[in-house]
Amino acid sequence: MLSLPDSDTNTGASEEVHIESGPGSRLRHWVVSNTKLRLFVQFVLWVSILTLFTETVAAGNGMTLSKQPRDTLAVPRWLYLATGGATIGASALLASFVTDRAFIRYLHNWSLPGPTVDDWWTPIRWIGRSFGIVVLGLAVYLGLTGPQLPTASFTILVTFVVVRAGLPMLTYLGGNVWPALNPWRGIVSLLPAGHRTYPRELARWPAVGGLLLLVWIEVIFPVSTIPSILSLAILGYSAVTIAGAVLFGPDAWFENADPLSVLFRFFGAVAPVKRRDGKLTVKLPGSDLTDSDLITDTSDVAFVIALIWELTYSGFITTQTGAATTEALVSLSNIGVGAVQIRAILIYTLLFVSGYVVFFAAYWYAGVLSRRRTGTYITAKRIAFRFAPSLLAIAAGYHLAHYTGLAVSLSPALGMAILSPLSPPANPLTLSPPGWFEGLSIAYVLIGHLLAIWAAHATAYELFSSRLVAIRSQYPFIGVMIGYTVISLWILSLPGATPPYLP
Amino acid sequence: MSYEGTTVPRRDSPAGECDYCGHPFPTTDRLVLHKGLEHPQELDDDEEDAFLSARADEEDELRTLRLKALGALVLLYFGLLFMYAIFA
Repeated sequence: MLSLPDSDTNTGASEEVHIESGPGSRLRHWVVSNTKLRLFVQFVLWVSILTLFTETVAAGNGMTLSKQPRDTLAVPRWLYLATGGATIGASALLASFVTDRAFIRYLHNWSLPGPTVDDWWTPIRWIGRSFGIVVLGLAVYLGLTGPQLPTASFTILVTFVVVRAGLPMLTYLGGNVWPALNPWRGIVSLLPAGHRTYPRELARWPAVGGLLLLVWIEVIFPVSTIPSILSLAILGYSAVTIAGAVLFGPDAWFENADPLSVLFRFFGAVAPVKRRDGKLTVKLPGSDLTDSDLITDTSDVAFVIALIWELTYSGFITTQTGAATTEALVSLSNIGVGAVQIRAILIYTLLFVSGYVVFFAAYWYAGVLSRRRTGTYITAKRIAFRFAPSLLAIAAGYHLAHYTGLAVSLSPALGMAILSPLSPPANPLTLSPPGWFEGLSIAYVLIGHLLAIWAAHATAYELFSSRLVAIRSQYPFIGVMIGYTVISLWILSLPGATPPYLP
Repeated sequence: MSYEGTTVPRRDSPAGECDYCGHPFPTTDRLVLHKGLEHPQELDDDEEDAFLSARADEEDELRTLRLKALGALVLLYFGLLFMYAIFA
């Protein structure tokens, strides 16, 4: 027992304040009320400093970028990249000023209770999943029989504008609605399932493989241009998903092995709206990224890194530099064996896999360095697990940066395809986003990283008792995050191109 | 007693283990801070005094670190300012 008076009535956040203030109830009241004031002042101060910092940088780049072509920056490219990296570094330095555990815990525990949804959950789920099944069936059918023009095809627009772009945005900006929409789960719930128990040691590795495979298919095969091929891909995905869910039971399959469900679950961790204990709760965005039960296996880390890498990769190969790199590598690999197409596919695959390995290794090494530098006895693996959720904020920022333009430009076409899926207009309307969208993308990337820096800071404070160790433990991860930012900003500054050799 | 998620390197000898959860620590002050933060209800008077003094020491070191961070921020700011003045 603590020898301070009425210490047993203290819980959580106030405890520490209590210990700091020493005995004396009058003094304690004064400190507690003062803490609230201090929390408020600190909050206002940090928010204003952070916004000032990001706004100036983003606005500066936005203005230079909006002068039409992407490749003529008024600022030299290295300086633009250095500024982006410095923003992350500076915000990490600023975050290290926040050493008040009570304040950090207060921010991360803040929540607004919403309406109870448990009574409504079952009907919502049934309606949502039935709707999902109808859309899935329509997408497959129209892909095979409907118009083969990509911007008029219901299949392509629903797959890429809704599932690839819109739903993840809704998930990390709002909340995860995928469990209520998942059509495959709806189908499996009608079938007898669960003939085998899911092997525990596989963890989320099938989902990692599935995600990488889906992205690889998206790059190599013309799924985003030819609706009938996309329909076949959807049919293949459905077959695997339904077979897996029937074999291992829907709970185990969609929790561990289905790449889409795992993706939405992870993006949902960034979201402000959560369903908890049958209630909708609003929290500060990213405040659940310090949870220790989000990442429990190496495969979870691999999945989070895959989310970051796939967006980086698909960004890179659609730039002129990326196209030039592929062409150079393909001509280098000309040893007289194999057609150009085959070699190109090999090069794309090789780039995809090796880049992923580099991204993963960089993150893992940061965990090892963090352990070594702080001399802690906590294993590098556990450190890597705890810091990995903060990367989800980065992935969300990348996703928003890469897909806002696509979602906006194709939204009228999507509207028309939904209104008349069988006979869409021959020449659908596509918008071309204005130049300042580029500036917005840069802002999204930076905001994602800032959120990640903050989440990492809060995580370090939960993991380490010594605040000095907590601050030092973050340095390697901040280094990795600066690296990711610089790469991502570099890709955003490159002029776009169509990837060569691909159908 | 071992604690999940920790390993002690073979060359190292830990300064101590937490009496309540078995978490090993390389230095005494980290152990003291851990006890104060994670098991505040179980501390005796001596341990509590040790925690308060470790906290005070930590506070001093944090002040130094903050100064360094401030210096780094100023350097970063003026570094970028000059870069922009010269190159942009």
